[in-house]
Amino acid sequence: MTLDWSVVWAHRDALLAGTVTTIFLTVATMAIAVPCGIVVAALRLYGPAPVRALATAYVELFRNLPLILVVFWAFYVLPILTGVGLSPLATGLAALALNVTAYNAETFRAGLNSIRRGQTEAAMALGMGRLQALRRVVVPQAVRRITPVLASTWVSLFKDTSLVSVIAVGELAYAAMQVRAQTFRVLEMLTAMAALYWLLGYPQAKLVDWIQRRYAVTE
Amino acid sequence: MTAAELPARAMAGAPCILRYRAVVKRFGAFTALSGVDLDVHAGEVVCLIGPSGSGKSTLLRCTNGLETLDGGDIEFEGAQLPREERTLRAVRRRMGMVFQSFELFPHFTARQNVAEGPRTVLGMSQTDAGARADALLAKVGLADKAGNFPSALSGGQQQRVAIARALAMNPDVMLFDEPTSALDPETIGEVLNVMKALAEEGMTMVVVTHEMTFARRVGDWIAVFDAGRIVEQGPPAQVFDAPATERTRDFLGHLGWTG
Repeated sequence: MTLDWSVVWAHRDALLAGTVTTIFLTVATMAIAVPCGIVVAALRLYGPAPVRALATAYVELFRNLPLILVVFWAFYVLPILTGVGLSPLATGLAALALNVTAYNAETFRAGLNSIRRGQTEAAMALGMGRLQALRRVVVPQAVRRITPVLASTWVSLFKDTSLVSVIAVGELAYAAMQVRAQTFRVLEMLTAMAALYWLLGYPQAKLVDWIQRRYAVTE
Repeated sequence: MTAAELPARAMAGAPCILRYRAVVKRFGAFTALSGVDLDVHAGEVVCLIGPSGSGKSTLLRCTNGLETLDGGDIEFEGAQLPREERTLRAVRRRMGMVFQSFELFPHFTARQNVAEGPRTVLGMSQTDAGARADALLAKVGLADKAGNFPSALSGGQQQRVAIARALAMNPDVMLFDEPTSALDPETIGEVLNVMKALAEEGMTMVVVTHEMTFARRVGDWIAVFDAGRIVEQGPPAQVFDAPATERTRDFLGHLGWTG
């Protein structure tokens, strides 16, 4: 078997465009899933009973469904349910956000629970309301504490964005598979794809480690 | 003990800041407070002493509504303590609280800790709140630690920052919940000195403490707790030197207090 690596360079534009979409999906998903995760966790912890139950149901549903199923579901069922047809990209983003929000909500819940009650009491003794105490005192500490978990979620998400290729979202995996289908250069394209994911993923993981050290809070 | 039976009180003429009447607090089957009556007058240092679990801290936590009452009531400056969260917050702004475990905000510097109340609760500008924080940190002897995070401060320093944080709201009364119980012996003195200076300025203080020397020297009025009740209250000279009840004598005896 002869290898022809020039195929990778020849299709660099397609791979680059796919990489950009992959990065966009990761960033956009997290941009949605971090604030939404905080809200869901707060509702689950502090909301009135029916809201708590709803938030819990959401988290347990999406945490225990395979992501690829959620992607298919968002693609085929969501338009029927809502009557709104989204682009594959938006559909993929919605599926990823639904999934990662559920994970982040659990992470935040654990983080919020880990902050001593006395911290909230100290804030309330100053005259803060519960929301102010959360926003100024509890959440900032919880966020620092769970940065390592969010970091690994981020790195997983970066790789998991490849799953939306099944609904023809033009991210890196889809782009590479398209080139493979056109050129039949399976080994070269899969290797190129692996190299790209690794080269992009590894520095991200390291960066997040650094952020964590930089902002670590000790008591 | 009713008011009529209480011994003479030096500050009795000053307005009543806090008035506890038949205060009851239960935690499940456990009754933490079973009918506590106590007055705190403006400018007084009232020390709550007694064995652990006798209800001292619970009474303090009821004072600013961190715990809700199961009976009786508490009046703050002539008005009954509200139960509704919003009005309760307005009352809490006028009461400073210092905790046994400091509870400084670890993600803020000392200056930010002190400025946080004025900033977030009073809506003061960052510059003004920072200036107030610096002045108060200087007052507790920590001007040079303003930029330090709590983790870089000793226990005594952290507790002094916590006192400055409470003072930043310009409270009418300061509540101290065993402020030196979590401290190393060598740093207890620095915290007690700050409290003593505050008392000399005329701050009204309610202090839950196991520091009998402090209570004896700085306190104006002593309330001895046992099993959710005040078994004796009076001026320190009387409570410490001529305790009227067996329970007080036992308690002081266990501490090795000899007067």
